[in-house]
Amino acid sequence: MSNFERHDGVYSLDLTLDEAHILINLVEQLLELFGEGDFFHHYDANDPFAQLMSMQHEVVTPDDPVLLRLLPNAYADPEAAGDFRRFTEGAIRASKQRVLHEVRAHLAILVDQDQAGRVSDLEADTWLMALNDLRLALSVRLEIDEESFELFESLPDEDPQKSIYAVYYWLGWLQENLLHLL
Amino acid sequence: MNTDSTTLTDIDAALHELLDRPWTCIVWDDPVNLMSYVVFVFQKLFGFSQEKAHELMLLVHHEGRAVVASGTREEMERHVQQLHEHGLWATLQRDDKI
Repeated sequence: MSNFERHDGVYSLDLTLDEAHILINLVEQLLELFGEGDFFHHYDANDPFAQLMSMQHEVVTPDDPVLLRLLPNAYADPEAAGDFRRFTEGAIRASKQRVLHEVRAHLAILVDQDQAGRVSDLEADTWLMALNDLRLALSVRLEIDEESFELFESLPDEDPQKSIYAVYYWLGWLQENLLHLL
Repeated sequence: MNTDSTTLTDIDAALHELLDRPWTCIVWDDPVNLMSYVVFVFQKLFGFSQEKAHELMLLVHHEGRAVVASGTREEMERHVQQLHEHGLWATLQRDDKI
């Protein structure tokens, strides 16, 4: 299984082509959930025009449970939660999309060359945040709780959920691996 | 004994306490975030020692929630924003201890 490595303070990750495909697929699905269907933007999410455009959307509590987990309410009081959301959700989304785009750019090099290889000179914080959001997103769809590991173990191999659980645990393993190198 | 003035003094004191009560930033337990990741985030955002961050993480895990910071409302909103950017489930409220 692939490992993160650290040499002279520089982090890298060797991936098989299958692993690179799984990761980039998840990253792109999450970007789409954030409302980005087309990844070849030629503007930065932080530029004033992009911010002006996004201001035109009414910012409301997300219906999608994955988005609600990634962008939770900051207050128990709905009015205060709504105000917080209006003023800060744009920045939180921009941060999450920035890390996903950065990870995607690294993975795209391997996927576009259609070969296994090394993601080098990666930013540990960025990868930790991206891996965490991918795990959170999968956990909502898989309804992860304290007993999930036993459930996952007991599923028959042909159950399609089992392979998604396997990816979820693999992401946790990767994240733990990188945390140990810090 | 003038009961009216006592009552007024009590109200005054209670009001002062209410206004002085700081805001708190609370992190809630969840079954997904790795313990080591929560410790990393606490150290990164709050500058806690490894030991202090670990202690707070365990408090979140065992109690279901823990106060990780307190101060002005603006400061706590900034913390909650950063915690959400890192995927932790955080809220803010006025300190409920009087």
